Amino acid sequence: MTRRALIERQARPPHSAGGQQKRSAPLTAAWLATLAGWLLVSGCDRPTPAGAIVLSQTPPTTAATNAGDVLDLRYPPGSRVVLAAPPFQTNDVLVLSAGLLAAGEPIVAPDGRRIFFVGKATAGDDWQIYQADNGGRPAPVTAMPGGAMDPAIIATGDLVFSSPVPKVGETWAMRRPPQLFAKPISGLPRRLTFAARAAVEPTVLADGRILFVSARPAADASASPALGLFTVNNDGTEFTAFALDHDGAPFVHRPRELSGGRVALVAADAAGRAGKTWAEDVQSARPFASRARLFSFSAGNCASVEPASDGAVLACLETRGTFGVFRLRPDATEAGTPLFFDPAWNSLDATLVAARPNPMGHVSAMKPTTHFGTILCLDVNFTRWAPDDARSAKAERIRVLTASDAGVPRVLGEVPVLADGSFMAEVPPEVPLGFEALDAQGRVVRREPPMLWLRPGENRSCIGCHEPYNRSPGNVRPLAASAPAVRLVGPAGAGEQAGL
Amino acid sequence: MKPGGSVILSTLVLIGSAGVGVGGYGWSVAHVRRWSGRQDLNFVTCDHCHFVKLERMPWAQPRAHHPSPAGMAVSPDGRHLYIALDDVNQVVEADTATRAITRRLTIAGGPFGLALDSQGEHLFVACRDRDQVVSVSTREFTPVESLGVGTAPVALAFCQTKDGPRLVVANSMSDDASVLAVSPLREIARPETGREPYGVAVSADGKLAFVVSRLAWSPHFKTPSASELTLIYTPSGRVMKRASLASAHLSEAVASVPGRDWELAPLVKVRNLVPITQVANGWVMSSGLAVSDKLGRVVQVPLDEANDYFADPSGIAVDAAGRRAYVASGGSDSISVVDLDRLANWLAKADAPTKRAAARDLTLSAQYVIDRLPTARNPRQLAISPDGRTLFVAERLNDSVLEVDTAGLRPIGRIVLGDGGAADPIRRGERVFTQAGHTFQRQFSCRSCHPDGHVDGLAYDFDGNGIGDNFLDNRSLQGVAGTEPFKWNGLNPSLEVQCGVRFARVLMRTDPIPPADLKDLTTYLKHLPPPRWERKHNQPLTPAQARGRRLFFATQQPDGTPIPRARQCQTCHRPPLYTDRLMSSVGTQSPGNPHEMFDTPHLLGIGQTAPYLHDGRARTLEEIWTTYQTNDLHGVSSYWNKHQLNELVEFLKTL
Repeated sequence: MTRRALIERQARPPHSAGGQQKRSAPLTAAWLATLAGWLLVSGCDRPTPAGAIVLSQTPPTTAATNAGDVLDLRYPPGSRVVLAAPPFQTNDVLVLSAGLLAAGEPIVAPDGRRIFFVGKATAGDDWQIYQADNGGRPAPVTAMPGGAMDPAIIATGDLVFSSPVPKVGETWAMRRPPQLFAKPISGLPRRLTFAARAAVEPTVLADGRILFVSARPAADASASPALGLFTVNNDGTEFTAFALDHDGAPFVHRPRELSGGRVALVAADAAGRAGKTWAEDVQSARPFASRARLFSFSAGNCASVEPASDGAVLACLETRGTFGVFRLRPDATEAGTPLFFDPAWNSLDATLVAARPNPMGHVSAMKPTTHFGTILCLDVNFTRWAPDDARSAKAERIRVLTASDAGVPRVLGEVPVLADGSFMAEVPPEVPLGFEALDAQGRVVRREPPMLWLRPGENRSCIGCHEPYNRSPGNVRPLAASAPAVRLVGPAGAGEQAGL
Repeated sequence: MKPGGSVILSTLVLIGSAGVGVGGYGWSVAHVRRWSGRQDLNFVTCDHCHFVKLERMPWAQPRAHHPSPAGMAVSPDGRHLYIALDDVNQVVEADTATRAITRRLTIAGGPFGLALDSQGEHLFVACRDRDQVVSVSTREFTPVESLGVGTAPVALAFCQTKDGPRLVVANSMSDDASVLAVSPLREIARPETGREPYGVAVSADGKLAFVVSRLAWSPHFKTPSASELTLIYTPSGRVMKRASLASAHLSEAVASVPGRDWELAPLVKVRNLVPITQVANGWVMSSGLAVSDKLGRVVQVPLDEANDYFADPSGIAVDAAGRRAYVASGGSDSISVVDLDRLANWLAKADAPTKRAAARDLTLSAQYVIDRLPTARNPRQLAISPDGRTLFVAERLNDSVLEVDTAGLRPIGRIVLGDGGAADPIRRGERVFTQAGHTFQRQFSCRSCHPDGHVDGLAYDFDGNGIGDNFLDNRSLQGVAGTEPFKWNGLNPSLEVQCGVRFARVLMRTDPIPPADLKDLTTYLKHLPPPRWERKHNQPLTPAQARGRRLFFATQQPDGTPIPRARQCQTCHRPPLYTDRLMSSVGTQSPGNPHEMFDTPHLLGIGQTAPYLHDGRARTLEEIWTTYQTNDLHGVSSYWNKHQLNELVEFLKTL
């Protein structure tokens, strides 16, 4: 099969009512000639035509009753990933997911050349991540048990993704929830996150951190999850809350860094984007105090927001019953004319195919042969609660918790709080860690269910216990830093205490 | 020769060579042990003690000079901008309309700071390297008068007082300020300031001068440091107040705010007492602004944001209406625009605890920083036209001055002073040195801890060996060439290693500096001379200094008792670099720290690099031998009296 033969013409979706599109013969010929020349001369390495976008197309009328997992629901059979270039004729697209039963979630590497997406070869296969071959048969780059989803690229060129793919309705309730992994394109995966709840939808910030969606643990396991945005370094260290804390719609998806110090996301009022969805953003200058609607006008449901050039965004909005691609300035007062709209398909996940600065890297300070991490808290009594709030009571000891696979908390041990409120402990790595601040009578005054983790040899500090967000530490020497750490890494985390 | 003879001859040669090698090795080890007095040493290369000449050091070689803008002053009519070009010993006059250089004046001694009198008839120039102030007639553009002041004057401000005009000069290396009467120039007082005074401003009524210092002092290396804002009564030069800027330093400028009871000084909030387990959220340092009233009551507020930082705040300018302040961030190549009305509103509403904790709140600056303007490389000093319409930005490492329209907050032109020096690897290296883009979220640059390649006077607690007491005194990079290995543990054999991946892992928390940039950076570092090298080198010693020198090189005590070779100062601190580049134990091991051997630091410029010892425990040179000497391990000092100690210190300060 020649490359030229792989350039598929627009095919109607399997269940599409399908509108008849007039063909623009001269433009089609020019577009195909450009693509053919590009492919024949240079294989895969030449840049895509300027202004091209890659997007998912899903059949708008496909029933999702047989969906087994969340990607089945989002990208039903027949869904595909296509490349479109100006002038964006709907019948002239290059299918990048040829040969797959379904595909979606395309992303473009910082080099502007490589495109990755999720795909499913047959109904019995797991979803895996594929690399596009510019019209050739895409190559799988993951083989994760239970599947892989949500690709992103970090500074080293490694792929970051979430695995396994959760079943419908189970994303935030799985016993072994999806976690983030990284892998070289042709190497073995390494796990990055060890959260008690799912870690999904990663994207890579310009500063090199991986931003992803996870849930804050709730005291009531049956309660709806409170989703937030979190970050880790590209070695899984420094798990940190980035934005969102019970300050809006409970479900969020697809965070993406925009220009101008903003992070866009898709908010939803129901799990799995089943309800209404809309675009929001937070200002990275004040991420916990700036959540707002991204657009001033009211639009239909929003499926995705991606950065475009010149400060604009590519938003996939639902109009006239299906999703189209709109290029919008931040100050746009209306959606206006879509950049790309095909009534025969839902156009989702539109992303500009262009090079962008590589994100910053991170030289790992992990020590893989070390069997513990060290956590230092500067002052457990520094909290965001008002002085008259019971939760601001003075803590005398800290009980360190972990959680079983079933989410059942287990005590690792207790650590005394020193006179200045500081404590330091050596804790087992790569397990969820939680903390209970105990008063002199042993009552729990503040609680953080098992949520964060440390990597082997990681030294981690926090400035308080439920402290205000985005605070720097005071320049005070913590007493705990000059005292031996309490060791909580005995056999089976038995709560061994040593060194005091 | 028969084949058998060749074999025999070759064998003999080999045996002879091996004998020479083994014997030579044995002799060299014996030589080292005899002259060092240390039996733990084995083979060391000859250049630890021999073949070192200061004149051959990279920093002693001729280098390219650049027209880098330092201080600026705008004429009262706004038509002229005067620019100090310290590296080429010039002051130039630029036409602000045409952006052309109209006149040049050569002034030796590194002209750095500028100030005009009220009528703009006299331009006062602080000459950093000659310790003097020069008065220049702006009409003829010629020097008319000069006066010696303190050491290394870098900034000055003019004011009218009831007792006549005054000029207040910040003398950066003598830690004082000269208060001068004008016409003729005459020093009427030289009050002590904070450590390394670097910026000066005067109140609108001319009664008070505010001198801000660049470095901080700490009573103990584990307690918070503070720099000083010194309030001086200008008619007499008397100090009215020493306002403390807690855990803040590197202030390089200060500005009075017309119409408000404020002085503003950019600063770096430093957190050196907290173990450096991470850098996010300003864990190591962040930029801020000190707001002081006329009584020296200070509130510190942040300039950074939660996920973006504006490193190395330097110059500041305030418009005539007191509505906006502009702060240059030399590390991030940007100007932060502060809306002073908004800042005033926040100050009016905030209670005392909130104000005390304000500098820690990285979300606060969004309330009053209304824009960030990009500039070319390393904006440092700022000036604003009298009508407030034009902001002048000295882009120091671009050899240019940017003009910004303050109404639209947009650049409107550039005064070009030179080509930027991109062909000069030393200049390129200085750009890397001052560029915060190599650190996580642009939080800090090399310069943030090493202003001008020197020290910030603090010890930091690194976590390379786990969290604990791992304080390490910050060492100067001036005169560092030829003193390898580096780090207090001597593990970095070269500057390339010192500044490479290891540095990225422990401090930058991002990618290592790219190889080409790293090469330029180390070239720059190797060309940093010791402080005031040209003024000190081969200068005659005073009698006290000479006595101190004899003490330094003493081989026996006055009663004839020999001083063991290993404990003679000159053995480890061997001239001319005053280091043997080896590890030594001087009895300074910290409790809980497994290390007792530390790299022997060179002593060039040692008088300016307090604190001392590997963890910075000694605040002064004297304390090394008074508070922290153990069993004469750090030189035999037990026979010294206080006068001898003082004389030794005086000698050390000449190095």
